[in-house]
Formats: sequence, structure tokens, C-alpha cells
Amino acid sequence: MVASKEPSVLLSHLHRADGSATFSQNGYTVIGAVNGPIEVPRRHELPEEAVIEVLVRPAAGVGGTRERHLESILHSTLRQIILVHNFPRHLIQVTLQITNTPENKNTGSKVVQAGSHLAILPALLQTAVLALLSASMPLATILTSVSIAIHADGKSRKLITHPSLKEFESASSVHIMAFTSHGEPLVVESQGTFTLEDWEEVFETVKALCHAEHNRIDDNAMQGVDGKGNMLEFVKSAMGEKVAQDLHWHT
Amino acid sequence: MPREVEPSVNERQFFEKALAENLRLDGRAFDQFRDLELSFGDEFGVADVRLGKTRIHTNISAEVTTPYPDKPFDGLFTITTELSPMTSPHYETSRPSDPEILLSRILEKNLRRSQALDTESLCLIAGHKVWSVRADVHILSHDGNLIDASCISVLAALQHFRKPDTSSEGENVTVYTLEERDPVPLSLLHFPYCVTFSFYPSTVEEGETVILLDSTLLEEQLREGSATIGINKDGELCQIAKLGGISVDAVAFLGCVQVALARVKEISTFVIKRLAEDAKKRDKGDLMAELRAENDR
Amino acid sequence: MPLDTSTYSLALLRLDGRRWNELRRLTAQISTQVAADGSSYLEMGNTKVMCTVAGPSEAKGAGGVRLGNDRADIRVSISIAGFSGVDRKKSGRNDKRLMEMQHTIASAFAQNLFTKLYPHSTISLSIHVLSQDGSLLAACINACTIALIDAGVPMHDYICACTAGSTSSYSSNDETADPLLDLNTMEEQELPFLTVATMGESDSVSVLIMETKVQVGRLEGMLAVGVDGCKQVRAILDGVARARGTKMLEGSRM
Repeated sequence: MVASKEPSVLLSHLHRADGSATFSQNGYTVIGAVNGPIEVPRRHELPEEAVIEVLVRPAAGVGGTRERHLESILHSTLRQIILVHNFPRHLIQVTLQITNTPENKNTGSKVVQAGSHLAILPALLQTAVLALLSASMPLATILTSVSIAIHADGKSRKLITHPSLKEFESASSVHIMAFTSHGEPLVVESQGTFTLEDWEEVFETVKALCHAEHNRIDDNAMQGVDGKGNMLEFVKSAMGEKVAQDLHWHT
Repeated sequence: MPREVEPSVNERQFFEKALAENLRLDGRAFDQFRDLELSFGDEFGVADVRLGKTRIHTNISAEVTTPYPDKPFDGLFTITTELSPMTSPHYETSRPSDPEILLSRILEKNLRRSQALDTESLCLIAGHKVWSVRADVHILSHDGNLIDASCISVLAALQHFRKPDTSSEGENVTVYTLEERDPVPLSLLHFPYCVTFSFYPSTVEEGETVILLDSTLLEEQLREGSATIGINKDGELCQIAKLGGISVDAVAFLGCVQVALARVKEISTFVIKRLAEDAKKRDKGDLMAELRAENDR
Repeated sequence: MPLDTSTYSLALLRLDGRRWNELRRLTAQISTQVAADGSSYLEMGNTKVMCTVAGPSEAKGAGGVRLGNDRADIRVSISIAGFSGVDRKKSGRNDKRLMEMQHTIASAFAQNLFTKLYPHSTISLSIHVLSQDGSLLAACINACTIALIDAGVPMHDYICACTAGSTSSYSSNDETADPLLDLNTMEEQELPFLTVATMGESDSVSVLIMETKVQVGRLEGMLAVGVDGCKQVRAILDGVARARGTKMLEGSRM
């Protein structure tokens, strides 16, 4: 089964969480729930800003160092985009439940090769942002994320956006980047061997994918062309649909 | 941590008044289940159960490990349940809460102790290599009756799961990938489903009890007692758990067991139907795989 | 591992010489600990438990979940002595089986005691298991009942418990299977059984736990015998409580 590279999302579908989203892309499906701002245990309280708690739960087995690493990346990222100073002495809980990962050859085996855990990072980041939006959490900016794998053998090199698990593993280097809606880089995680030129090319490619120039979006909208592959456009249209649905009776 | 919202006095009185008039807040009959939905994932062993607004996602995984020294012929079967903040913010991740413990105890008794999964069939080489089957029960949304929904979810996922085929030569075990050989289903001996009853003291007749099936979260918060009956469709009781609460007449309780048996038969047929539909869907797109399976035999 | 109980059908006597409807020797003492508000010591055969009650007392601070403040909160802690069983193993603090038993006892008595008379307070029961030989939960419930009587906490009625089993294993479907009353460890390991607790002399079931597989038709017989056993237990516990009461009255007269 070939996983679709097109993203899809379901918003606010869990009834008890303040905000929730199910996001799937590239064979990964992540369910995210956001609760907050809520009371925080005394020992964790921060006097001047909100505490952000990120919980990543794998589909099978209990979380280990891999999940803790992802949580730490997510935590430092989300702290930058949530307006934490608006909610001092509060807690914002982000729970991300991974429910589907691309099929690996050993069916049902919970063993995932070491080092490949970054492949899920774009899906986690995207789910977290969508769930935060669904919870109406004030954000400084929204964030879009894309992964790219470089296959280099000697002279030729090939860039693959949204690489599959196989491409991810066989790549000479992988890059996961996230950009704000203003086009500023927020997360840059690279693994493998690559040159500075490679990196710059990746940077520009991802930037184009995550964030198109404003006039281009307007053009597309006017021409009725959806921003195919553009993540920012995707998030905007998903939210737009959701808002239109919510305001259905509000003519 | 924030505390769980408790039903207000108004809600409580409204509920009691409705109950006295033989009504439930969502208009169901006392012995009626909410709409049950069951879907399977792309991978084997992934089942998603929705019972009203309750939603449970179960993922089965298997790996080869060494067995416990005191049980060299038995494979391992573990069920993990954890209520995460996704369900409700008052669940702490570090300390298991009471409902969580009861849920995992009942699943354990119902599925493991009753030998629903034949653990001996998971043995590859006695004392050295066995399959370790693990069921991760993820509770995504909690609107009452977690026990019944989890039980359906785990049993459906177990029936849906296929473990990789293996062959052993002396001390060596080869595990074949999906491409090499079709995976094989688990050997399940019987399918004990759970039915939970909620008890309320009757306001109409002194000493009588009102019995509800498949209670919502509000009904669960307001109930004075509950009983979970685990039974398979052949009428074998696997566990009964009436852990305190108000007392129920013994004869009325025996009636509950009969109701549970009838419900379990319905649930069994439903799950089997859904499994058959899923199998059909898989075959259609992958006719070659089916042909190959024929040839293997 | 499976014992040979095939002799039962010949003499209709169980391994320890009892008939099917006989309880083991049940003895209980009341007010065994002077320092506690209420205490008891109970033996059901070789199962020996001690129970002390503290309270009703002021509710402890923020620890734990408080169930509203309009009634007393009941807390139960069970500790099993290392030397109580055959295999000497230390049970962890997070033993789910123990936590389930604690929950069961707490919620059974929450409905039985007049907890509304004691708002903002806690009644804590602590149970020490000194020796285990089957019917553990039943013994704990019985010990709690008389300890609470000793503590003078008002209650609707006695909660009395015992176990009941069935002589046939679940696989064989013979109709001649007899129900059995009050099982010991060896019988518990081999036979399907249930623990039942009833309210006083009525037939209403407060606790019913069964963890083994059994044919549904067998349940009625087991439950009937269990409920009957509970009534026998109640008579014994009532005797203990009355004897204690008479003694106290005599003491006050002097």
C-alpha cells in the first residue's frame, strides 16, 4: 500500500478535549488533543508563563527515549509559538497519540530502527499546531513542517520531499524543517552527511513548500488552483472549512 | 491537576426524575446499547471501536522474546491500558487512577485468565523463544462504558491480527516478512465479551434497583453500583466483578447474567460480520496475494 | 497444579473432611487493639486477618481524590505479611489485585455505612493478613464488618461474605457437580469459585467476584450456596458482637 503524500486532517472530533485534530500524511496518522489553559501542579508552576506539557505516545509499547527526544523538540518549538506569557501559572497539555506508522516489513513488530524516529516529527508538529488551533489557543504564528531526504551517490543528488520510510532510511541525509507563517525557520533537524550547498538547497525547497509568497497564494486563490503541496495553504484551507462549518447557521 | 467535573445537583435530580419515569437522558431503553461502530486499520491488528462518544483504539504487536523460566511453554500476552490526558485532563500520567486499575484488572481476568488467547500456541522453542503479543489499548475519548468498549476493541483487534509466519530448524527460528510468506492469524480459543450493568436505587419502589446497560459518563458518575459480567457466546462465564456498591437481589442478578449472554451473542455476530467485510475488502485489492496463499498450501 | 479431587464423588467428603455445605471453623474476636477506635481479629479456617478502624476523623489534606464533602470518605489499606502464604513473596505497593480488593471493600461499605452522618471526615480501615488459606477477600470483609461495629460506626446491616465453588472443572459438563461452600487455597486453585457478600439476612448481593471460567448454568447453584453461607457467617458474627455487647454491659453495671 502506498501512503498518500497529501495531508488530510479531521478537526475537533474528540468531545472531552478542549481541542483535537487527527492528521495523516505520508502513512503517519497522529491524533492530537490539547487541554488548556488549566491548573498546574504547584511544583511545576512557572510564575511568568504557561507550562507546556507535551506527551508523545507510540502506537505500540510504552514511550522511551525516542519519544522523550521528540517531546523535547516539540516542547521547545511550541513554547515559541504559543503566547505563553498570556497565561502565567497555567498549564497547556498537548497529547499526541501515534496511531499509524508506515507499514514496515515485519508486521506488527514494535521494533523501529534506531535513528529513524525523526521521520514522524513533521506529522507530530503539524498535529500539535492543528490541535492548538482547534482549541483556539492564541498563537504568535502557525507552523508548517516538511521532511526532505537527499539521495546522493558521488556526483548526482536527488531531493525527495515527504520521503517514505524506505527512502528515509536509505537517504544519505535527511532534513526536517519547520517554518512559521512569516517564513522564518523554527525547527531545523538534519541527520547524515551533507554539504553546505545541499543544506541551502534543502532550505530553499522546504521554505517554498512550507511557505509560499503572499502574492502567490492570492494568485492561486484567484485562479482557483489549490496550493498543491503547500503546507501553509493546507492548514489555512482546513481551518477555513472548519470555521465555515461552525458558522453554518450564522448567516 | 484539575478535578473531574462532578454532576451538579440539578443534573442529578433531573436524571433521577427521568429514571423514575422510565426514561434515560438520551432516550434509549434501559437495556439498549449505543450505536456500536468498529473499523480496522490498514495494518493487521488495529481496531477502532466507537460506542457513542466513547472511542477506543487498540493496536496489537508481536515480537519474539524468551519466556519466563517458570513457564517455558507459554508465550507472553500483555494488555496495557493507560488513560492519558487526551481522555480528560484530570488523569495524571504518573499515577494510575482507580478506574484505570479496575479496567486493566477486568481485561486481564476476562481475556488472559480465561485463556482467550492460547498462549501455548505462541511457543516457538520451549524455554528459548516465544512470541510476545502485546495489546496497547488507547482510550481516545471517554463517555462511559470503557470496559465493554475496550473488551470489544481488544478482541476484534486480536481476531484481525496476523503474526509473521515462522519456521524453526533446531535452535534457529526464521521469521518471514510479509513479502515472503503470508502472516498467520492467532489461535483464539473463545471470545469473552464484557457487559457492564449500572445500578441505581429506585425512587419509586423501596428496595428495588434500576438496572441500566451501556451507561454514559454522566450515568456512570451518578450510579451507586455496577457489575461487569464477562461471558462468551457459548454461555461460559469468564469473570464477574461486582465490586461493592449498592446491593442487588441475587435473583435479579441472575437475570442480568442472562441479559449479558444475549447481548454478547449480538456483539459476537457484529464483530464477525465486520471482520468478514474487512477480509473481503482486503482480498479485492490484492487478489494476487490470495492466489499465492492458495499455492502455498 | 491440578490436585486429585476424584475422591469427592466416592465419599462426598472434601480434602479436609468437610461436607459440601460446611463452613470452616470461623472464630472472631472484637476489640483486640486498645489503641484503635475499632478492631477485630478473624479466622476462617487457616486464613487469619486483623482489622483496625481509625475514625471517623477529620479528612486529611489534599492527598487523594475527595468524593465530595457531604459524606465520609472510606479508605482501605491491605497489607499482606510475607509469611502469610506458602511462597514467601513480597507484594509491591502497586499490586493491582490488592488495589482492586481495597476498592471493593471501600465501595461496599460506602453504601452500607451511614456516611452522610460524617461529612468532611475519613474512616480508614487497615487490614493485616497474617495467614492465607483461601477466601481471603471474604475474611477481610467479615473482619471489617465487626471492626466497624466495634468502632460504633452506624451501618444498615452486617456485610457478610464467603466463597462458593463447584466440584466440576469448567471443561466437564456433568450435571452431578455439587456446589461447595467456603473453599481453601487448594480448592481455590483447582475449582471455579466466587466470592459473595450479602447485606444482613437478605438475599441482596453487595459484592460478587468470580475470576474463573464456569458454565453459566452452574452460577445459580454456586450463588445460592454462597448466599446461604453468608447467612451462616452472619449468625456467627452476630453472636460475637452480642457477646461483646453483653460483656460491656456487665462491666458497666459493676
